[in-house]
Amino acid sequence: MAEMMLPIQDGDIKTTVNDLLKGLLRSGKVSAVIAMQETPSGKSAFPTMVSDPEKMDANVFAPLLPVSTGTMISRITKVRGSNKPITVVLRSCEMRALMELVKLNQADLTNVTLIGVDCPGTFPMNTYSSFPGDKTPTEAVLEGGEAEKYMRSACLSCKDPVPENVDVVIGIYGVDLKKGLFIDTRTDAGEKLLEGIELVKTDAKARVKAVEDVRKSKDAVRAKFIEERSDIKGIDKITEFFDTCVNCHNCMKACPICYCKECLFDSSVFDLEANKYVAKAENKGSFKTPTDSMLFHITRFNHMILSCVECGLCEQACPSNIPLMDIIIPIAENAQKEFEYLPGRDSEEKLPMIVYREDEFQDVGEK
Amino acid sequence: MSEEFEPKIVGFLCNWCSYAGADLAGTSRIQYPSNIRVIRVMCSGSVDTVYVNRALLEGADAVLIGGCHPGDCHYLNGNYKARRRMVLMKNILETLGLEPERIWVRWISASEGQKFADTVKEIVERTKEMGPNPMGKRWNV
Ligand code: SF4
Ligand code: SF4
Ligand code: FES
Repeated sequence: MAEMMLPIQDGDIKTTVNDLLKGLLRSGKVSAVIAMQETPSGKSAFPTMVSDPEKMDANVFAPLLPVSTGTMISRITKVRGSNKPITVVLRSCEMRALMELVKLNQADLTNVTLIGVDCPGTFPMNTYSSFPGDKTPTEAVLEGGEAEKYMRSACLSCKDPVPENVDVVIGIYGVDLKKGLFIDTRTDAGEKLLEGIELVKTDAKARVKAVEDVRKSKDAVRAKFIEERSDIKGIDKITEFFDTCVNCHNCMKACPICYCKECLFDSSVFDLEANKYVAKAENKGSFKTPTDSMLFHITRFNHMILSCVECGLCEQACPSNIPLMDIIIPIAENAQKEFEYLPGRDSEEKLPMIVYREDEFQDVGEK
Repeated sequence: MSEEFEPKIVGFLCNWCSYAGADLAGTSRIQYPSNIRVIRVMCSGSVDTVYVNRALLEGADAVLIGGCHPGDCHYLNGNYKARRRMVLMKNILETLGLEPERIWVRWISASEGQKFADTVKEIVERTKEMGPNPMGKRWNV
């Protein structure tokens, strides 16, 4: 079995997927499912761990990214992996973050199966909570069109909205959403998971074409995004860019792949005696407090940019609304190209900063 | 500027090679400019980008990371990792338009006192052409 379709019951996508997940719990195939579930007010949605099938109320297409599911899986499994089978439903950027965390030994996928869903994009938290118009955010995003204007910039220029490294893909591209959802079982574990679930055959070619198209159009948007921001360069522009940064480190805390247990910048390393500050003032003439905002950002980029999955959670977390993706996407693009590295591509791949080749970058160090 | 600009250079030199190379330059009385402030480190691989950034943001006009020649690192591969790290750092600064040329990486062995002196001379010359690091006098970074 490879390309099949999950027929939609009563035109209701949410219930269709929810029933599938409920079934996994009922059949005893898995002990728990983690999937996006709306809060009772409908104002928000969070990755939610469910073991009671009656409590399963997932909306896997809820267009909101309050946290990365990758981070949550890390929190749940980092002390010790699970003895019991867990299925996690997640989107492409969350899957990529999770793969990076696996490489960092900060997530353990023992007994974890992954269901990836095509992501139509997400809205900022406040837009989601009080969504304009009569439609729910989920309805709006699945219909496309209009909804785009509310979308987070990270999603508009998403690197790849279709998840790759998963056991099963639930797809919205290349199928008629009135009829069904595309189902692609990619591994034996995925096949086992869906055993006994009624699927119908669908046109694999239409899917391949649709995925190609959506990737192409996202690539184009992303390239334009980078192009349009190429003038944010040089000390004047960069300091202006960070002028409203209050050095709260929220961007670092929200980032799924900012991996240190204790950030250097939250440690006492930068606690200096008053005399040192006076010396700094004498040296530079003057300096603003809090100090070291730029040092924090540039150092953070050096530490995480190769694993940056471009989820935009940093930007979403910023109290000063600094459009961080404006510089993060171009930096990530160039740095990842230099090392021919794509975060999330392969969980077996080594992080670029822990490996090397003797015959690379040979001009560095000589001339 | 009436006085000639004298660049400030911070050098992170590996204990086992470049630092000893600098020492040899001194004991052999090879002349080199006094613009460099040397910080001895145990291996070029121990120089995190935060130190290099800090030096630049505090106004160093250039930073030198001196390590053992490829294959000669006392800890086997620290210099290969340092090389990757500095390639990444330069790449990021390039995208931000923040003068990656101010960062220098050089492999200088314990017996290369002359190479050390020549390297410092070269850095001083190039940095004089570039002028002072504009980050040095920024109060709002
Ligand atoms: S730096 Fe920002 S966009 Fe990149 S992974 Fe972290 S939170 Fe996401
Ligand atoms: S979240 Fe915004 S204000 Fe806070 S440190 Fe990051 S960029 Fe600065
Ligand atoms: S010991 Fe000299 S570079 Fe590693």
